[in-house]
Amino acid sequence: MTSDLARFYQQMYVIRRLEETLLEMFSAGEINGTTHTCIGQEATAAGVISHLDSERDVIFSNHRCHGHYVAFTDDVEGLIAEVTGRTTGTCGGKGGSQHLCRGNFYSNGIQGSIVPVATGIALAERERKSGAVTTVFIGDGTLGQGALYECLNMASLWRLPLMVVVENNHYAQSTPEELAVSGSISARAAAFGIPTAEITTTDVEEIHATAGSAVERIRATGEPFFMVLDTYRFSPHSKGDDTRDPAEIEARRASSDPIALIADRLDPELRADIEQAAERRVADAREAALAAPVAGAVQA
Amino acid sequence: MSKSLYVQAINRALHEEMDRDPDVLCIGEDIGPMGGLFGATRGLHERFGAERVIDTPISEAGYTGAAIGMAMEGLRPVVEIQFADFVTVAFDQLNTVAAKMHFLLSGLAKVPLVVRLPYGVNLAGEGYMSGHGPHHSQSPEAWFCHMAGMKVVMPSGPADALGLLKAAIRDNSPVMFFEQKGLYETASEALPEGEHVVPIGKAAVVCEGSDVTVIATGATVGLARAVAERLRAEGVSLEVVDPRTLVPLDTEALVASAIKTGRVVITHEAPSTGGFGGEIAARIAEQAFGRLHAPIRRVCGLDMPVPDGKNNALPNEERIEAAVRNVLESG
Ligand SMILES: Cc1ncc(C[n+]2csc(CCOP(=O)(O)OP(=O)(O)O)c2C)c(N)n1
Ligand SMILES: [Mg+2]
Repeated sequence: MTSDLARFYQQMYVIRRLEETLLEMFSAGEINGTTHTCIGQEATAAGVISHLDSERDVIFSNHRCHGHYVAFTDDVEGLIAEVTGRTTGTCGGKGGSQHLCRGNFYSNGIQGSIVPVATGIALAERERKSGAVTTVFIGDGTLGQGALYECLNMASLWRLPLMVVVENNHYAQSTPEELAVSGSISARAAAFGIPTAEITTTDVEEIHATAGSAVERIRATGEPFFMVLDTYRFSPHSKGDDTRDPAEIEARRASSDPIALIADRLDPELRADIEQAAERRVADAREAALAAPVAGAVQA
Repeated sequence: MSKSLYVQAINRALHEEMDRDPDVLCIGEDIGPMGGLFGATRGLHERFGAERVIDTPISEAGYTGAAIGMAMEGLRPVVEIQFADFVTVAFDQLNTVAAKMHFLLSGLAKVPLVVRLPYGVNLAGEGYMSGHGPHHSQSPEAWFCHMAGMKVVMPSGPADALGLLKAAIRDNSPVMFFEQKGLYETASEALPEGEHVVPIGKAAVVCEGSDVTVIATGATVGLARAVAERLRAEGVSLEVVDPRTLVPLDTEALVASAIKTGRVVITHEAPSTGGFGGEIAARIAEQAFGRLHAPIRRVCGLDMPVPDGKNNALPNEERIEAAVRNVLESG
């Protein structure tokens, strides 16, 4: 039986290697367009999504969606094929990195516009009495979008089973939080009467515990919940575009790498097995994607 | 003389206009120390400071609306929307307020606003600009042409980008300024020294010819020019005309060329249905129907969201050439 901890490690490790591989592939010219990686933020995906059921619950993610996608669907192969524009990709190679949609998983490249749709999905699921929790992931920068607040209001008024997860990595592209976010983040949701939780660690076990209470509460009451997670991305916003102080990045890498944080808690042999399997899986997925047909011709 | 890139031309226009007029300011996401996602505002923050180069939260409706307010007070804000696609978030402000204010206040209120909109993809299909999928690749100029009250400008090369942006900043109407983002780092030419202002509302004949007129905008101008060069070897003479401004449209120049050649192909990146090519075709049909030897043909984006990566959804040289051959054969 795999423990929660081993599962978290496995998911985070696969996500990390997958994204490092994507960045490598960009540099090698094997991918066009763009990609946003969540290197450093994997604990959010693993910790929160382990409470969600991919058959029943719904996730709406954003431009930085790879980790959420893999944690929810385990579809490493479809993701690499999608980003490389292959017919075998999640969306047949037509969407690319920020348009992963499969089953109950959606993502979208426009900041904030996912929140209204997630609100509607939560409403529909409630009407259907499916018991589903709809989770929408947003970044600190996306707190700038007015539509978010319209939806917090409606979700509260209409008592919708919606979980809003803010991944606060303290930057929106080059813009630091101080220049874009005034006041308190969680107080914004609290002002609409929505219960909130705020976590200041990237320890996946703590995130898992807090998210567990949140999901349980939503399932029990059918009411929305707002969760703020402190995190940090070690990689650039997309590829080469990083204006942050390298010393700051190094300090955060040393103190809050979610993979390193739990590595010592695992049996070394098990850990090595997990790592090896992940390496192999990602390498195979890369090879398979590159061998698959390119999604070229389209018809209107 | 050394050549400048399209993005450098835009950067120069911003520097020159901010230097010339203290009322000019820039506002948008990541335009300060980062210099904008595509580098168009590089150096402005260092030169003019954070008060005139305003970094904003990701709040397109908020800061575009705020820029409209500043413009009504006499400032000349230049808004950068990171990708033209995101302008939808600010649509209400632009349509309801910016486009109508002048009219509602009987011409008393001016809205000297410029909104810079990086649009489209690298039609050569290479690298970073080769397509970011359906949310980062659109060419939404037609939305604003239909708004009545907006000017819509679309430069196809560095010199026009420089001269038209300067004209847009000096204009007292709201101007939607479409920058083809595939051209930022690929189109280059020597820029005129000194003041270079290109009047809004004037088309340019990019190359003269006598057999077929190709009307092209943005990056499709380069495609049309390449086709013109190739066909010249076969003795086919293309006239490539770039409207440069869609609203107000230089109908006279387009009709004159259509009458001269009697055959017209129109090409743009945006989907054909509801695209501005339809308006151009209608004007030529209204004014020169009897002088045409063949039906007007359009080579546009397919009527679908722009897919990620390399594909056939957008115009290319082959499709333009095929349309040219078609109008030559039919009549
Ligand atoms: C409406 C809109 N405006 C701007 C952008 C461009 N953009 C993409 S990601 C991003 C920063 C987002 O920051 P944040 O919400 O903190 O998420 P993070 O990238 O840090 O994960 C911006 C400005 C966009 N995609 N949509
Ligand atoms: Mg962020």
